[in-house]
Amino acid sequence: MSWWEFWKARGEKADFVASFLELAKTSIPGIRAIDQLNFTVLDTETTGLNPAEDFILSFGAVKISQMTIQVSTAVEWYPVSPKNGKATAAIHGLLESKTPVQIADFVPNLLSYLGSSILVGHHLGFDLEMLLKTCKPFGLEDFPNPCIDTMNLAIRLEHGPNADRHQIKSEEYGLDSLCDRYGITKDDRHTAAGDAFLTAQLLLKLLVVAKKKGIKDFASLSKPW
Amino acid sequence: MANVIVNRVAEFLKRFPPFSFLSKEDLEKVSTAVEIRYLEKGEVLFRQGQDAQPHFFVLKEGSIQLTESQQESEQIREYCDEGDVFGVLALLGKRPYLLNAKVVENSLIYAIPVSVFEQMLEQNSRVALYFAAGFASGQMVIRQDLSQGQKARGLFRSESRDLSLLIFSDQSEIKISEKVLTCSGSQSIRTAAQKMTEAQVSSIVIVDEENRPIGIVTDKDLRSRVIVRSISTEVSVKEIMTPRVITRKKTAGFSDLYLTMIKNRLHHLILTEDGTDQTPVSGIISDHDILLSMGNSPAVLIHGLMNTLDVKEMKSIRDRAEQMLRYYLENEVAMDFVASVMTEINDVIIRQASRIAEASYSKDYPELAEVRYCFLSMGSEGREEQLLRTDQDNALVYEDVPEELIEKAAEYFLKIGTAIVEVLLSCGFASCPGKIMASNPEWVQPLSKWKTCFSHWILTPTQEALLKASIFFDFRPVTGSSGLAEELSMHIYEEIKSKEVFLNFLALNALMNPAPLGFFRDFVVEKSGEHRDQFDIKARAMMPLTDLARLLVLSHGVVGVNNTFKRFERLAELEPTNEALFIQAGKAYEILMRMRALEGLQHDNSGRYISPESLGKLQRQLLKNAFSPISELQEIVRIRFQLDYFRK
Repeated sequence: MSWWEFWKARGEKADFVASFLELAKTSIPGIRAIDQLNFTVLDTETTGLNPAEDFILSFGAVKISQMTIQVSTAVEWYPVSPKNGKATAAIHGLLESKTPVQIADFVPNLLSYLGSSILVGHHLGFDLEMLLKTCKPFGLEDFPNPCIDTMNLAIRLEHGPNADRHQIKSEEYGLDSLCDRYGITKDDRHTAAGDAFLTAQLLLKLLVVAKKKGIKDFASLSKPW
Repeated sequence: MANVIVNRVAEFLKRFPPFSFLSKEDLEKVSTAVEIRYLEKGEVLFRQGQDAQPHFFVLKEGSIQLTESQQESEQIREYCDEGDVFGVLALLGKRPYLLNAKVVENSLIYAIPVSVFEQMLEQNSRVALYFAAGFASGQMVIRQDLSQGQKARGLFRSESRDLSLLIFSDQSEIKISEKVLTCSGSQSIRTAAQKMTEAQVSSIVIVDEENRPIGIVTDKDLRSRVIVRSISTEVSVKEIMTPRVITRKKTAGFSDLYLTMIKNRLHHLILTEDGTDQTPVSGIISDHDILLSMGNSPAVLIHGLMNTLDVKEMKSIRDRAEQMLRYYLENEVAMDFVASVMTEINDVIIRQASRIAEASYSKDYPELAEVRYCFLSMGSEGREEQLLRTDQDNALVYEDVPEELIEKAAEYFLKIGTAIVEVLLSCGFASCPGKIMASNPEWVQPLSKWKTCFSHWILTPTQEALLKASIFFDFRPVTGSSGLAEELSMHIYEEIKSKEVFLNFLALNALMNPAPLGFFRDFVVEKSGEHRDQFDIKARAMMPLTDLARLLVLSHGVVGVNNTFKRFERLAELEPTNEALFIQAGKAYEILMRMRALEGLQHDNSGRYISPESLGKLQRQLLKNAFSPISELQEIVRIRFQLDYFRK
């Protein structure tokens, strides 16, 4: 039994998890303007699509604040994985992880990087599920951060909040199609950081569309629909 | 370790100067610090008068307009497109912005913190020079110092250039005359000289019965040994010949032959079958032949042209002149020198052509032999600016003849004009699509007819007349009696003085082409036809300058200065208040000429249409900066000639 499973068994939170959760307690006021919000746009590459069995191969992210992509905040991490994921490697072109990070380092780094920012991703749910699985042994039950899935945001902006999801072709809202539609040059597809960068550009463009539709503050942006 | 995102940013930046001059480490440092903004159409990135932001900007996609607010209106100063660097005041002087940056199309902008870049500016001279030369957009030092730009261009020039203009361009090109003029030693000096004259050569080899060389007589020998010493020309030639000739084998290497001549101070080297004087003569090399083989120096080419009436050889020499031109242009040789050299070469061709023409026709028209005529070059050759063999524009003027000769003269001079034009065509000069050539009877006229014609244009300045005036008024006498041309110039000057309103029409015409603001999508490029999406450098940048220079020079009553940049030089002297502007305009014209010629040489065409995409970022900037004096000059002309009150 390794040391983190020991924690898991006791259900105790690591210190850094506790301080991460503490940060999130201060909620963002609904009237805060969009250009005052801090976003972390992220993506993961995994060994497969089953959160129960698969592991994260790489994590890439970049932050947006003041409606500006801060390239200096870009990260690309390769957590050590128990499974080498030959099948995914074929798609992602990821063979050996570049500079592997031990899980014990990856998780605290991740949480301090995310902080209380709004998490953004394309199909964000899956990425968060994978990340949560990695963090659980350290006592994290869930991510307390507000979340935005760029796919949902795009559908909302293009079809209105009351759109019938069954009428919408999901392939039109894949990252590839959206990049084409919003004029974003697709480079580095299928690397975590590359996709995160594309998603960040997509978010910038979507937020401008949102503004035109009257979505100008945090409350209207995070309104469930 | 740089990650994918930083690399992506770096890859974009590195395509454009000044980032292309950064080392890998510096580029990474800059890329890491980039902030990416997305602005919507209609937004304003910065406003005139605002304090500089701590960033300068690179346009990633979309488009930005730089405008200047004036009292009531807003003037567009520049369009930025992909890769353009702007808002650099923050970087340079930390002064408030001089322009507004408006988003015309949704734009993705890379903002680069000044603090990160400042250090590189100090350490990297190429980066510093890039900014000093005013290549960044909207830097708006109203009148950029174009000489900095030229200097910068030299520095940024691609390293790969052929260092031709070697001393011996091509050894195999050395011409050895195999037909050697010979005579026996017992023949008279007079006979020998006669033979030389007939063969148009400067030497004769004296041989024995078996054609073995025993001596040589040259032009110089005839002067120094015969005339000076008053020897009778009936004396046998062996008395005055240079005996004991030095000989070489024909197959000897070029350097051996050349060194032999240099060491022995020979103007002529006799070649024999086995290289000794004991075998028959098989050839001769003169220092003229050596000179011709010595690469493409102007003196050599001109010398070569003056010594031939063979059209094929003239063409080959003109072709070689083009190689020399390319070398000059790529090495930033001063444009006035380049232009004068090329003009001289073109002029020599025309003079030789007129000799050919006269030789073929003068015998048939003995009564016209004394009638003076003058061949006029017009357009760019008239302005001494024709670097490439683009359209020839020329005409012919001849003295008025008595009534009974009028018809004959028209016939004769048309033949002369046509023959000259044909030689030029054979030498590779393109034909004028408008038929403004001395082979067109309309443009081969006696002086009085020319005067009537010019007066007519000046008195009734129709669109067509103005167009013709813009071509014909740049005439320059090339061969024949230049007095006729001077008389014509004076006539124009007198006519304009008596009808100054003509200048207003000319001014209106000069403003027909607005100054291009910058390369922006199809903003300035041709919108239709064969040259769609290309930039017409002649019509849009060079012609406005030529027209403005001609107009202003004529308004000062200056005649005889044809060259556009010399006209600007003269204008700078005449109007000290506008000196700087005129100097810049002249420089701009030189840059445009150079660019057009290089483009033409590269694509083997007139160089007139340039694809903005094919130019490097730097050349585009240089070109853009060269546009800047145009609009300022046009403004001066608009006011000076009161064009707002003057409409047709």
